[in-house]
Amino acid sequence: MWVARVDEGYVFGDLSPASVETLKGVPMLLESADARVRGRLLPDTCDDAVDEEHWRRHAVPELERLFLSRAQLVRRDLATLRKMPKSEHKLLLIPDGHTSAWLAALNGARLALYVMNDLTAETMEPDGFVKATPKQQEALLRIHLLAEMQSVLLGDLEVEPSGPFDEFIIE
Amino acid sequence: MRVRGATKEKSDTKSKPETSLALPWNVIVHDDPVTLMTYVSKVFVQVFGYSSEKAHRLMMEVHKQGRSIVWTGAREQAEMYAQKLQAHHLLTTLEAVDA
Repeated sequence: MWVARVDEGYVFGDLSPASVETLKGVPMLLESADARVRGRLLPDTCDDAVDEEHWRRHAVPELERLFLSRAQLVRRDLATLRKMPKSEHKLLLIPDGHTSAWLAALNGARLALYVMNDLTAETMEPDGFVKATPKQQEALLRIHLLAEMQSVLLGDLEVEPSGPFDEFIIE
Repeated sequence: MRVRGATKEKSDTKSKPETSLALPWNVIVHDDPVTLMTYVSKVFVQVFGYSSEKAHRLMMEVHKQGRSIVWTGAREQAEMYAQKLQAHHLLTTLEAVDA
């Protein structure tokens, strides 16, 4: 995967079929009905049962709507994935106006993968990979790919400006 | 974005007594091994308008101590902040400050 900063936003290029599959899983993870995912994305917030019930009644429905709307935005951007010439790899533009939604969506998806695959703080450490099961290792690779994209969108990685997005499109 | 129905709560007989509304509430962010540290700082700046320095200090407190009280004040506003933090998937809880 490479990254370019264009006038319209960030371009992620040379996305392998596995990377594309991981990205297409992001909205599905945000919409997941899995109890572990819901437990992490909509966590218990108050110790007191009455306060928690108040929270569930007033705050959670709006959060659920937000996550669904965010999943739809990510899905719309993924629908514009472009095929790279002479390759099965693809190109994704994340427009500047969508950066905040993507950052949160990527975070939510990473957390969902973490809880769905019984990962631990230990397996998240650099030397934790070898101790993980094959299924967990696959989840870790997905989590790290999404983290790399988050780092780009956060500006943690310096990316030189490259002009307009059109220059990357070769039909 | 705000917690809807907060005004309705005042006439809700199931709600806690008026005194609990008057108590200050803590908004607490807990550490998790997945969320990127720079993301946590960015969210603190975005949600609270904190300076980068303060956001970084609170983020480090979360990271090193496992949790940090990131805001204290009126319940309705605390709920609004907690909702905003959870919207970014930061592990956030609320607690009434003991009188």
